[in-house]
Amino acid sequence: MAAILPSSVERLVAELAKLPGLGPRSAQRLAFHVMKAPPERAHALAEALVEVKDKLRPCSECFGFAEEELCPICADPRRDMTVLCAVEEPSAIIPIERTNEFRGRYHVLGGALSPIDGIDPEDLRLDELLERIARHGVTELVIATNPTMQGEATALFLADMVRDRVRVTRLASGLPVGADLEHADELTLGRALLGRRPI
Amino acid sequence: MSSPDTITASDRDHSGNWAVRQLTVADLRCWDRLTLQLNPGLVVVSGPNGAGKTSLVEAICYGMVGVSPRTTREADAIRVGRQAFHVELHVDGPHGRQVREMGYQPGLGRRMRIDEVPQRSVGLWRASGSILVFLPEELRAVKGPPAARRRAIDRILEGTDPTFAATAAAYTAAVTQRNAMLKRIKGQVAGVAGLTPWDHAVAEHGAAVATARSTMILDLQPRFARWMEELGGGPGGTLAWEPSPADLGEMAPDRFHEHLEARLAANRTRDIQAAQTLSGPHRDDVWIGIGDQDLRRTGSQGEQRTAVLALLLACRELLSEHGVTPILLLDDVLSELDPGRRRRLLDALVGQGQSWITSADPDAADLAAASGATHYLHVEDGHVAATP
Ligand SMILES: [Zn+2]
Repeated sequence: MAAILPSSVERLVAELAKLPGLGPRSAQRLAFHVMKAPPERAHALAEALVEVKDKLRPCSECFGFAEEELCPICADPRRDMTVLCAVEEPSAIIPIERTNEFRGRYHVLGGALSPIDGIDPEDLRLDELLERIARHGVTELVIATNPTMQGEATALFLADMVRDRVRVTRLASGLPVGADLEHADELTLGRALLGRRPI
Repeated sequence: MSSPDTITASDRDHSGNWAVRQLTVADLRCWDRLTLQLNPGLVVVSGPNGAGKTSLVEAICYGMVGVSPRTTREADAIRVGRQAFHVELHVDGPHGRQVREMGYQPGLGRRMRIDEVPQRSVGLWRASGSILVFLPEELRAVKGPPAARRRAIDRILEGTDPTFAATAAAYTAAVTQRNAMLKRIKGQVAGVAGLTPWDHAVAEHGAAVATARSTMILDLQPRFARWMEELGGGPGGTLAWEPSPADLGEMAPDRFHEHLEARLAANRTRDIQAAQTLSGPHRDDVWIGIGDQDLRRTGSQGEQRTAVLALLLACRELLSEHGVTPILLLDDVLSELDPGRRRRLLDALVGQGQSWITSADPDAADLAAASGATHYLHVEDGHVAATP
């Protein structure tokens, strides 16, 4: 079948359709929107895409999103260094920050234990975590892995690993089981943080 | 080949019990086209062997759970010379009235719809605990492998406990993860320390599954024993949980979690060697016997049939007590029962919900009349003669 659209449009649709949550139809709708937009809008979008890839790198402390050596949170001297919150992915930091209930810092593990996916303890940033605990005299580790089976297993493994060094707490229940932290609402997540319990 | 036979059904039943109110089949087995209007109560289907009685039972199975107990190959159920079969049921149930459709065509596969909405997953389509079926194939619940007996118990749990399906799925996921970990440790890809959280997950969800099953079997036991006696299976009918590991059977459920976790830790070396979790509720069995005779292994065909029937009736009672009576489908069970036992069985079935009994006996009509059956359907030459 001959292509219906010019090849440049086909290429844009194909690239957009690779984004999560976008099917071919919604990709096509976005592509048409971009085509109709003034040139400076399209350039701004393209530059933003390139810039984020060029500038963004993992924070050397917490492995969250950073543009400098440190992310804005790790660079902020008012944040408490002695309380760390372990999360699976950088995206989980955003909802926790929105609650305004947490004044410590973060540690991005880089995933959750899942043997069927070949993710072992060695694949998570655990050595880096132990090193930070020792270096900053951390007194509490808040484990905020997702309330999934993999997240729970990771929480348990972490707790066993650092239990004799720091106080270990887990977000209180009330979070929807099986979901990601990203999708929890601020109120529920704020309550879960305040009600965190030792494990 | 035949015109639709129609019976007028009265207004819908509001009890929430499952009942087929309209049954339409097209090109299924020996049926060309058939539509029946039905009420709750006892439906007696008579007719000579091979006339299509069992196919009506099969049609209800396809409509309610999307699978047939007779075959896993849907193509076998298509009428000779036709392209596809289609079943449509108008069903009353706990969610009100539904139109449930299932069709199958080789190459296109199965199509399922509820109230015209396509159902992609068989899991969503299944209405667990909505039907209980007695066909020769269902004998596997007694003489088949342990998995068949676990399945029989779990199906009733899914019908009585809305959280059980999720609990069982979590347990399966935990065992899958632990097995993957064992394999990685055996292959020296990962260290033994990584096993601890999976021991915990398997123990936690395994304890929940074990608790549910042990409670269910205790609930079923007295009902099973009573039905064994009423159906002539004799006194001493016993259902008992045979847990894995076996010593779970000697302790209270509040100790299951701790004990399972300790056993998993103790069995690590063995499990790593095998690269799989060798004990746990995924290895449970159910003892089915009379006195100390194990019917699973030493029962005669007749004893095993009686045990399956007694188990189904026990399950039906239990589901009824939880508020929703399932549809009971009994294919050819009357011939082996003496008149007194037939009467006791039929008396139990006219009361509530909907039950179907097929029979090739010439006196089935008299039996239906005497027992107060709601419908008597005589099946012959591809059509149905019906008595409301
Ligand atoms: Zn940082």
